[in-house]
Amino acid sequence: MSESKDPRKTFGEALVEVGEKYGTVIAISADSSGGSGMTPFKEKFPDRHLEFGIMEQGVIGFASGLATTGKIPFVVAIAPFVTARPFEMFRNDLGYMRQNVKVVGRCAGISYSDLGPTHQSLDDVALIRTIPGVTVLNPADPVEIKKVVHAAADITGPCYIKIGKEKMPVLFEENYPFELGKGYLVRDGKDVTLIGTGTVFANAHAAAEALKKEGVDVRLIDIHTLKPFDSGIVLKAAKETGTIVTVEEHYLAGGLGSIVCETLAREGVCTKVKMIGIDDQFASNGPYDDLLGLYGLLPDQIKETVKGFL
Amino acid sequence: MLTPQELKTLQKTALQVRKNVLREIKAGKMGHIGGALSIVDIVTALYFKIMNIDPKKPLMRDRDRFVLSAGHKCLALYAVLAERGFFDHSVLDTYGSLGSKLPGHPDMHKLPGVESNTGALGHGLSIAGGMAMGLKMDGLGSKVYVIMGDGELAEGSNWEAAAASSHHKLDNMLVFVDRNSLQISGRTVEVMSYEPLEERWRSFGWGTRIINGHDIETIVKAAEEFPFEKGKPSVVIADTVKSKGISFAEDRVDFHYWKAKEEEILQAEQEFAAIDRRLEE
Repeated sequence: MSESKDPRKTFGEALVEVGEKYGTVIAISADSSGGSGMTPFKEKFPDRHLEFGIMEQGVIGFASGLATTGKIPFVVAIAPFVTARPFEMFRNDLGYMRQNVKVVGRCAGISYSDLGPTHQSLDDVALIRTIPGVTVLNPADPVEIKKVVHAAADITGPCYIKIGKEKMPVLFEENYPFELGKGYLVRDGKDVTLIGTGTVFANAHAAAEALKKEGVDVRLIDIHTLKPFDSGIVLKAAKETGTIVTVEEHYLAGGLGSIVCETLAREGVCTKVKMIGIDDQFASNGPYDDLLGLYGLLPDQIKETVKGFL
Repeated sequence: MLTPQELKTLQKTALQVRKNVLREIKAGKMGHIGGALSIVDIVTALYFKIMNIDPKKPLMRDRDRFVLSAGHKCLALYAVLAERGFFDHSVLDTYGSLGSKLPGHPDMHKLPGVESNTGALGHGLSIAGGMAMGLKMDGLGSKVYVIMGDGELAEGSNWEAAAASSHHKLDNMLVFVDRNSLQISGRTVEVMSYEPLEERWRSFGWGTRIINGHDIETIVKAAEEFPFEKGKPSVVIADTVKSKGISFAEDRVDFHYWKAKEEEILQAEQEFAAIDRRLEE
């Protein structure tokens, strides 16, 4: 197993880096700074770290106002509290106003596994991607977390970045070909395409490795940018491999699987697609791996699903 | 302090802004007249006496900002911006048409001088607070002015913003609460009372003042004297009359949104003409 890193700590390191790059980067905390990895930023740039307390509607509006004066606010808290709760503020104050604010939902998906559905976020991508002009990012490993944070800071406009809680294995080299808005072809293959995103991409990656050993030639794609979506890489995969399996720690409705199916349908491409994720239910609670197992998101389960679908 | 001549000029300008509002209603045949007319005297004082703005440089870095939190009162915002020269008066005649630069709630990307996209209530104070914070961080002396509705105060998000603005000592922000005492379902105190307003705002750490929101001299005085308390944001509770200036619509809940009949518009125009004559005397 490769080295693993804490996604929040990694995000915090990336925030310091973009803070050094841009004097206008501001960290906004809703009593969420320490848990979001922002302590190093706070220590290094105390005047650019603003605390608001548990005020998740308010912070989005304040961030919007700060952005009108040229700041680049990063609003960071537990994922549902910066997406579902202040959705209208996100839509109007950031999306409709086109403000240069970066919202980071941490401990996303079911990574707050023991805390239950109030703290889990299985609808964040579905919600936020409906907002015109918002870039939606879901990094797959610690190297990619840094890439997306830098990319978000480099572009002008609202972004949503989701990161998990559990340690993530390092999958990619520092200089791997990351391009915002483009899927990353991790390995080529001709039998089936496995498309993963975010926290559970590593499990899709492990499943692909196992399938390869069993003689299945899997094409593996990492989608770090869910919006704007790289239609080309999916259409090419559909044409060249036929069958597609998507893997995400999100509801089947509105997430990666939905986006892939919408892409194929819009282009009139008829391809078999299997979506692995959480179907129409509030998730259970318990240890993280047990929960992933409940929803078929462990590497062996992904492998078996792919084999059964071929 | 205003000289008598300055006061008279501002009163005439306010009347012209009211006429502009009516012009928009005439174009669109309907609109949120009540709240627009209750804030005309406040926006006139701000745009013609108080705010550091330049219609030729609407994005000037050190400009003062205005946020209309109660975005449905935007007919007054459009009317005063046109009067101040941000765009031609003819734009007012497009109200209600397809793709007009004057939507039923303001869009900052459509018109110069509009600073935020409000309309969903309970957003403006947070946005304005962020502006005030950013301007302070940049060491600019710019001020942020906000108009909120009294019915709007039932949105809980406002009180998040009120607390944060006080906590962060945003004494470069002045809020006017347009207390016209009516909202779409009736008297505000009967629908959902947030009275006593002054005590509530004070308890949230704001400097407060209650004024007559149609007395331009008093509005100017308050705006010139804020912050009312050092290190605190300030709020003016402005007692106003809904649909001020049109006798048959004043203080009537059914004129929150007016589907205007031709004869009603004609009567309103005659009433404005009568005010005009009085001001000329």
